[in-house]
Amino acid sequence: MVELTGWTASPAPGRPEPEGSGEPGLDPEFGVEEPPEAPRRPVRRAALLVAPFAGLTAFFVGWELYVVVRNLRPLTLPLPSDVIIHVVENPGFYSRNGLVTIQEAFWGFWIAFFAALFVATWMAHSQFVERATMPVIVLMQSTPVAVLVPIFLLWFGFSPWPKILTAMLFAWVPFVANALIGLRSIDSETHELLRSVNASRWEIYWRLRIPHSLPYLFAAGRICVGLALVGAVVGEFFNSREGLGNAARVAQSRLLVDQLWGSVFVLAFIGVAFVLLLIAVERRVLRWHSSQDSDHRAL
Amino acid sequence: MTETAVSFEAVSKWFRRKDRLVHAVSRVSLEVRQSEFVSLIGPSGCGKSTMLRLAGGLLEPDRGSVAVNNQPPAEARRQKRYGFVPQHPALLPWRTVRRNVSLLSDVNRRQDNPGMSTDDQLAMLDDIGLTPFLDSLPRELSGGLQQRVSIARAFALGAPVLLMDEPFSALDEITRADMRYLLLHLWGRIGSTVLFVTHSIPEAVVLSDRVAVLGSRPGRITEVIDVGLPRPRHAEVEDSDDYHRVLGEVRAALRRGWSS
Repeated sequence: MVELTGWTASPAPGRPEPEGSGEPGLDPEFGVEEPPEAPRRPVRRAALLVAPFAGLTAFFVGWELYVVVRNLRPLTLPLPSDVIIHVVENPGFYSRNGLVTIQEAFWGFWIAFFAALFVATWMAHSQFVERATMPVIVLMQSTPVAVLVPIFLLWFGFSPWPKILTAMLFAWVPFVANALIGLRSIDSETHELLRSVNASRWEIYWRLRIPHSLPYLFAAGRICVGLALVGAVVGEFFNSREGLGNAARVAQSRLLVDQLWGSVFVLAFIGVAFVLLLIAVERRVLRWHSSQDSDHRAL
Repeated sequence: MTETAVSFEAVSKWFRRKDRLVHAVSRVSLEVRQSEFVSLIGPSGCGKSTMLRLAGGLLEPDRGSVAVNNQPPAEARRQKRYGFVPQHPALLPWRTVRRNVSLLSDVNRRQDNPGMSTDDQLAMLDDIGLTPFLDSLPRELSGGLQQRVSIARAFALGAPVLLMDEPFSALDEITRADMRYLLLHLWGRIGSTVLFVTHSIPEAVVLSDRVAVLGSRPGRITEVIDVGLPRPRHAEVEDSDDYHRVLGEVRAALRRGWSS
């Protein structure tokens, strides 16, 4: 073993200290050159900040104008302002039902995430398991999940489980696919480097594969937030006494246009809120990844 | 007599590529002494990197034997006796410079090679000009700085054998020249045995005690040339007649190996 007897700093050869100027790398003839001032673009920055709100406002104003100009009946298409007023006037109803749907989607999302990570980990480490599992995943992907809900109702009755399972099934295929790519596509030289010090499979998994798959998992997460909500709502459509899916179904059967559209608006709001939350976490966790360069990201 | 650090004895290796066998190296024999710097030079596909991986226990020979400090390479690998520097820096993009340098010490802690102490690591990083970048992420560094971190990571393990696989090949010529002397500087302080794969004749001559010239198809050592330039070596060595003489010898040996 090489003896390590401490390290005293001394300049590396081939990189001599420059003479004259006290600061390295400066030509004494010219002295210190002032750097140019960073370009200030306050208008551009402000424009980028308000762009999402401008887009949303334009969408709703366009919708409002279309309804007014075409003189449409609320049953055909209500004014968005009417829907928003209705939601604001009934906060208890929407928060109570929204919370039920959020809980179902939340558990479905996380169960899908961990199940997918477990399966993808197994697949990434064994070609046999991958070949054996892939047909099952394709089968699940090709089967319309909605037709399974009545079966879940037979199994679990009126508990939240049919809705949670539906949300999970909607979300899990994108998670599996992305996790598998992330766990598999590690840099071969980094893998070799860790093997050169006899890193265990677990260490390679924990220190290399998992961090490497995070960008893929976040990309899947953005898709799966919406899918888990859709799954929860579809589950509620079939048989439920609460939740926004149930609220929309009841509203549709009784022609309660405000409630129907109110449920849609609140669901959209919940989806956007959770995607934004996920993006905030992603920016923090993936600050090392090129996708987080301000030049590369749209959101 | 100086002890042998790495030895290849009549080593042969084949790879299976689809339905055919590729003969990568054939009956290679080489002894690398303790604290010696030996370069492997030859055309692409002559088995240089294969030899490096055989020495590191990352590949098993089909015939012959490889030993590292009289141990099988797999055992030396288990005991963390290698510092590996790949062609690309292979830094973990989510770790800062400081944490990338300590990576190999953090892994496989069951072994009794804890590597340099944190203070020594910081002193070494300071020595090679990396202090301002300790908390930077790899993507914030230039290619030259990234490779500097990669080399520091190998030295930080304090391993007696360093295996370097064309570590400067992706760098521009100016940075590359700078890196040679930086590597010599670090090696002069630690004194590990180095097996260095390169395509560059000047690099091999400036760095090495001996240069093993490889011929291709199948890969084999055709000549081993003693460099014999005095140490420590600085950039001025490249202006000396001896340097140019050895450069010519290696070039001629490569030509002979190519034509044989």
